[in-house]
Amino acid sequence: MLSEAVKIVEKKTIPSEATMLIGLPDVGLVGLIATSYLISELDMEEVAYMDSDLLPPVVVLHKGLPHTPLRFYGNQNLIAVISELAVPAPSIYTVMQEIVDWAQAKKVKRIVSMGGIPAENRQSIKEPQVFGAASNQELLDMLTKSGLNIMNEGYMVGPQALSMRYSINKNIPAIAILAQSFYNYPDPQAAAIALKELQKISDFKVDVSKLLEKGEEIRLKARDIMKRTQEEMARMKKAQEYDLPLYV
Amino acid sequence: MSKKPRKRSIFDIMGEYTEDSDAFADELVESAFPEGPSWNTETCCLQALSNVSVTSREVIVTADLPNIEPETVKVETADETLIEITAKMKKKVQFADLGIYHRKGEFSSLRCQDRVHVAFDAEKMKISFKGGILEVRFPRKRG
Repeated sequence: MLSEAVKIVEKKTIPSEATMLIGLPDVGLVGLIATSYLISELDMEEVAYMDSDLLPPVVVLHKGLPHTPLRFYGNQNLIAVISELAVPAPSIYTVMQEIVDWAQAKKVKRIVSMGGIPAENRQSIKEPQVFGAASNQELLDMLTKSGLNIMNEGYMVGPQALSMRYSINKNIPAIAILAQSFYNYPDPQAAAIALKELQKISDFKVDVSKLLEKGEEIRLKARDIMKRTQEEMARMKKAQEYDLPLYV
Repeated sequence: MSKKPRKRSIFDIMGEYTEDSDAFADELVESAFPEGPSWNTETCCLQALSNVSVTSREVIVTADLPNIEPETVKVETADETLIEITAKMKKKVQFADLGIYHRKGEFSSLRCQDRVHVAFDAEKMKISFKGGILEVRFPRKRG
């Protein structure tokens, strides 16, 4: 039933033992901006796409050719997942489950989900901090050793939460890299800093200075997808990420 | 012969209730985020993202204003409930600059309008602009 509702169509050979990086639209569009920039900088090619009736009836045109909004890019070591539309809140479970199932089938060695942590005083933060979370203690120790701050307590809501949850079910090592960001304004600076931190635990190197230079242009271009993402975040009760968890 | 109406089970009632609540939630979200383009070629404006929050003492409006000249920011309160923010851009932007070639138009300013449903004192607003984000604070009117 699940595979009928949503399927991933492969266009190229998918490398095994790759790291999967997920950057779906979310708080401050941090994950989407960071992952899109990485795809462009590493010149990754489209290797697969998601086809599903659970997603809005949309194709996106690039250089005159239609593309499915939720796509997978790859090279030898990395598979990057982006979506150029806000994933509807009711579909997010199925979409994330399918991505994680597919990752398992492709023998992905690790799933890294990129995103933002809403910071209510973001205007006053010059250099956003980045926090990591991991699916097991060994990975958490690796993040600490690599110099990442750990998000010790708190809620995660939405794509990162489900990527973590389903990865645990499938026993796939999973990490979340979360940068302090605006909740409902595109935040290229947070994306750049998240990418810098991601490189502490990755083999690739990218210069984020172009991303910072293009910040204003990205903020202008990203207004529409941010608005639609905000609608879906409201449906997901994303503001719960501000809540304090109780665990006595 | 009249048909006896089918007795509704508790699950039918709960199902209808859930559908009604979902429809109501969708209506609320749709009214908060009206559909329409985020640009206006007649007024040469791009719509800025903005947000309103109301505390017990203040109405706080923020707007994301990339690529603007800070000294051109105008905050106007057209009536008791409407707040309009406009700002001129440093450099005019065309659709082509945004990667769109099938539309024609040039934009020279950013603009947003927000409706506020509590009384506020427009005379005492405080404006700050940091990191491309405009923040306007209005004290709420008492009584």
